[in-house]
Amino acid sequence: MAEFDPIEERAVEMLDDVQLEALRIKTVSANDERFEFVLWNLCLRGVAVIEKVCRSRGKASGLDEQEIELAIEDAAARMLLRFSRPDPQPQVHALAAEIAAACVERSWPSQKCAPRLTSRTPNLRLISGLDEAIETGKVHPNDWESS
Amino acid sequence: MSAGEDALERAFWQAVDDLKEGEAKPIESYLRLVPREQRDELGGMLADLFLARGPAPGSEGGESDGYRRAMAIVDEVLGSRGTAGILPGTLKAMRNARGIEPDTVVEQLAADLGVEGEGGRRALARNYHRLENGALLGSKLSRRLLGALASVFGVDAVDVAAAARPAAQGPGLRSAPAMGRSGGAAPPAPSHPPLPGPADPEVEFVERLFHGGPDA
Repeated sequence: MAEFDPIEERAVEMLDDVQLEALRIKTVSANDERFEFVLWNLCLRGVAVIEKVCRSRGKASGLDEQEIELAIEDAAARMLLRFSRPDPQPQVHALAAEIAAACVERSWPSQKCAPRLTSRTPNLRLISGLDEAIETGKVHPNDWESS
Repeated sequence: MSAGEDALERAFWQAVDDLKEGEAKPIESYLRLVPREQRDELGGMLADLFLARGPAPGSEGGESDGYRRAMAIVDEVLGSRGTAGILPGTLKAMRNARGIEPDTVVEQLAADLGVEGEGGRRALARNYHRLENGALLGSKLSRRLLGALASVFGVDAVDVAAAARPAAQGPGLRSAPAMGRSGGAAPPAPSHPPLPGPADPEVEFVERLFHGGPDA
């Protein structure tokens, strides 16, 4: 990874999120090798949020521990993709939370399907001679007056 | 630089180092390191430092496996940045995290790009493998391919294109020429004459997607 000199690195680490994002745009646009260090620092701040969101939402969605870890890894990679863009991005914590939520919400093998209503198969039985019995008045169709 | 200023600077950098290591001490312990008349100044500097830095990652679960694995991915992707930027690393990381085999990606790409023949699919598989391994030039990838990759991975095509920007000082690899095109310097003479026969148009199409530039 390309590096700033140590004093510059410390200065970068001390930047707040807004300043760091401004520096990211500047270094990405200029294709400055040092953007990697800026990106790494942004990820350092974002991954904590990714972990928290994936863990809480993953548990609520019924993901197992391994799936939660995979969602965290997926989100970390997707956050890197987003930070490659030269245009301004949302504040790092907000962006990390958005990406983490999207990674949890995709379909997972262990996720139980939501209960679905199934149509009950009607159990019909033919009664031989019923038609004749109705015609001859031996039995009457069911109606609200007779039942 | 006076002895007092020197002490102030040393105390400040010690606080920065401690903070970086996740072992920040109470602010008073740094103030004790400087002469009384400089404590206000150091106090102000440290307050700015702690405020700007915010909570340490460790306090939000930085010790967990998930955090470490995520940062390992960040390190790996950034460390592998090359002629196709961080795209190879991110593709591989997303694929692994989702448990998708390369063949599945190739199948979906083939469906998206309308590649149906066996030769075209083989070319797609070969080039995708080279892309994931950082052996291709990001600047030569077509927009159509980047869009198809974005669709397969469910991400924004703009993100994928931005990630493919090559590192400024990457190794000077040259793109393999698209089939049927002139590739600059003449290649070394093949040891066997090429087999006669018409080129597979799908293979040419796939080669253009991976080597023909954004508009291919």
